[in-house]
Amino acid sequence: MNTPQEPHKKKEDCSNQNECLKLLQAVLDGDATPEQREHFLKEHLEGCMPCYKNYNLEVMLREKIKTKCCSEAPGDLMEAIKQKVSQLASR
Amino acid sequence: MEEILERPHYSQSEKEAIFNHEFLPHINAMYNFGYRLTLDRDDAKDLVQDTYLKAYRFIDSFQQGTNAKAWLFRILKNSFINDYRKKSKEPSKVDYQEVETYYNSEEVDRQITPDLRVESLSNMIGDEVSNALNSLDVDFRTVIILCDLEGFKYEEMAKILDIPIGTVRSRLHRARALLKEKLSHYAKEMGYTKS
Repeated sequence: MNTPQEPHKKKEDCSNQNECLKLLQAVLDGDATPEQREHFLKEHLEGCMPCYKNYNLEVMLREKIKTKCCSEAPGDLMEAIKQKVSQLASR
Repeated sequence: MEEILERPHYSQSEKEAIFNHEFLPHINAMYNFGYRLTLDRDDAKDLVQDTYLKAYRFIDSFQQGTNAKAWLFRILKNSFINDYRKKSKEPSKVDYQEVETYYNSEEVDRQITPDLRVESLSNMIGDEVSNALNSLDVDFRTVIILCDLEGFKYEEMAKILDIPIGTVRSRLHRARALLKEKLSHYAKEMGYTKS
């Protein structure tokens, strides 16, 4: 039975966490419809603590991947490629 | 990519312009992708160089105005599978189909419930996230790089990887669950969690 929620009080359990996680990922990856997005971000997250926590975790994970998992090409690679290509082109 | 009915024939100067202005600017992203696939910096350099040479040779099959980065990533991925993996001494350890079937089973949904906390993750300021990503199976690393780092949409990823969009979705879901599971192990080892 649904009990009326106090304002700003989030429920502690999400009955559908795995499906919600899939939806959350679709929202963050830009794969959700505008309606799904609106519902999830404005309504579901407001009332559901596990999903709210998952949301923050997923956002941070993406930030960490962006900042920690990129590496620059070695400085000489671009020149090496240009040189090989100009050899190809002059053939 | 799509069947191109009228293949352009670029002049020499057009080829150079496309190569220099549309292809070369992606060199850092390409190198990073190559590195995350091979996990070896020298191999990544070779792979990226081979990819760019192929891109130049087949430049007439690139349609100007389409996504050059996605086109290049697809060539790099194919070179990795066709050339690098064959040359590599290490045989492919697992049959991907088996892995996919296993990770798509409902059983795994119950098993993988990473209890990673946002506080623990925010404390990971070293190489933890990068190492955790590198520890995943190559197909899982790939989708995370393409989506989270390079910002490709699911549809573009499906084309780059030659897999259906539904597989992109489920593979990403598994990949993220596995990544979080790995990170929660790190968090425990490093004493970031209260337990």
